[in-house]
Amino acid sequence: MVIYRDEYRLYNFGPQHPFSPVRLEMLTSLLQALGVWRDPLPPPEASREEVLSVHSERLVKRVEAASRGERVPDLEHYGLGTGDTPVFPGMDRAARVLVGGTLEGARRILAGEKRVLQLGGGLHHAQYDRASGFCVYNDLSVAIRHLTRAGLRVAYLDIDVHHGDGVQWIHYEEKEVLTLSLHESGRYLFPGTGHVHEMGRGEGLGRKLNLPLEPFTEDESYLEVFEALVPWALEAFRPDALVVQAGADAHFLDPLADLLLTTRAYERLFRLILEYAEAYAKGRVLFTLGGGYSPDATVRIWALLYHLFHGLPLPERLPEAWLRTWEARLGRPLTLTLHDPEGGYPEIPRKPEIAKRNRLTLQRLTELVSPHLLH
Amino acid sequence: MLVRDVMKSPVLTVGPEVTLEEAYKLLLEKGIRHLPVVAEGRLLGIITDRDIRLATSHLNPEGPCPGCARVEEVMTKEVVTAHPLDPVEEAARVMRHRKIGSLPVLEDGEIVGIVTGIDLLDALLRLTGVTEPSGRLEVRLPDRVGELARLTGFLAGRGVNIHSLLSYPEEGEYVRAVVRVNTLETHLLAQGLRETGFEVLWPPMKPW
Repeated sequence: MVIYRDEYRLYNFGPQHPFSPVRLEMLTSLLQALGVWRDPLPPPEASREEVLSVHSERLVKRVEAASRGERVPDLEHYGLGTGDTPVFPGMDRAARVLVGGTLEGARRILAGEKRVLQLGGGLHHAQYDRASGFCVYNDLSVAIRHLTRAGLRVAYLDIDVHHGDGVQWIHYEEKEVLTLSLHESGRYLFPGTGHVHEMGRGEGLGRKLNLPLEPFTEDESYLEVFEALVPWALEAFRPDALVVQAGADAHFLDPLADLLLTTRAYERLFRLILEYAEAYAKGRVLFTLGGGYSPDATVRIWALLYHLFHGLPLPERLPEAWLRTWEARLGRPLTLTLHDPEGGYPEIPRKPEIAKRNRLTLQRLTELVSPHLLH
Repeated sequence: MLVRDVMKSPVLTVGPEVTLEEAYKLLLEKGIRHLPVVAEGRLLGIITDRDIRLATSHLNPEGPCPGCARVEEVMTKEVVTAHPLDPVEEAARVMRHRKIGSLPVLEDGEIVGIVTGIDLLDALLRLTGVTEPSGRLEVRLPDRVGELARLTGFLAGRGVNIHSLLSYPEEGEYVRAVVRVNTLETHLLAQGLRETGFEVLWPPMKPW
């Protein structure tokens, strides 16, 4: 089941901002041009109360006031009105529409749906008491909380290139939520956290897993540690459902970060995640989108996800008319095929060293976590 | 950052007449390594877990001290101390230079706290750590008047808030500045900085 409505595009920080609704427009028009688009389920927007299941009243009040154009003196203290997360009219509702989509996904899972693809959301940086990094409300945590309140144990998998800090901190002391984030090391990249030592507190201890990767990590090394870590953790935790933040910004074309995945790695990742959901999460999986700031790469990665999600054969070339339209609108050339052409970036001389470091980080993580996770 | 910002207070002390056994038990119970020895509000000495183990071990090259039963017989009497208003780096320098693990902190002759190597590590973490969601820039600046101001001025002009800034001298006439800023878009900042003539070490340029 696919969840989407055009109002997702109200979540718009302005024409210069990288978290652009144009990506959704490109994606849906591409899927239409490919002839695979089926009418999605339009979700209701989340209510104020639903947002308050993971956020503070004082944060929500400020988002509401800023949405109405009122002057709020301490906005920055709440992570709003910054260069990354500026305020715009109607921001509160726009954010609640995205939350509503992910929450609807959780409801559908509870109603017996196995696979849900929410074509939006994934705002993993929003914290209990503050907006952060393009994220106003945390749709993922609202959905996760809805599932845990219904008695489910939830595994959260975050493949966005940035650490899934908001989701991690919101569920940091919860034993029924396993969070697993693979990201470019916080030593180099926003938000700076996501170290292997952040592994939960109290009842949540050992159930928050972070695998920080070296800048310039490539397909091979990423897949190696992913395939070692994720099934191991899921098998130990045995969730009732899997929630996946499928950010596309670990791609080599991404202008904000420094990992070097290609669409080949993403194809493999999505296939693996669907397999893992069958094997370890009772087949239940809810995907959201997330970061991804090269429109070219991001849209192809999410189109890949859409095809694999539905078990459709992958197209090789993208439709000519669609390419012409969007090249004209964006004013730059686009990749002509769904997959990246070979040799998109130069050879990385430190490749073996990077792979070795990532292996060592994985080893540290498993050593730290296994005494807590494995019983 | 001052000693009073990092010291532990109140501080656990013992009297000189306390037995080594009692003192050692206290160290183990509290999970600490240093006990200032105090009588009538005056600092007489300091005793560490190592002092006690050596005094009671045949492995001590000078032999154990069989007659030693009380703290005052084993403690170090010439105690190096700090003042609450001393800069942390001065405390660190003294501890490093004298190779000692802690400094009792005295104010008007009275013991008001203790600072240990662990507290200095905490201070280092506070100075270098990530306390806010932020991205990282690393810039090499010529070691001359106004360069850091030029950097922070550029960031202010871009509407970027600086959460922390660490700078240290490098080989040659350079200073390395590590800046944590409240933005995901460090690549964009780096590009702007390069165009303005800064040498940006992180994030790197991507030629593709």
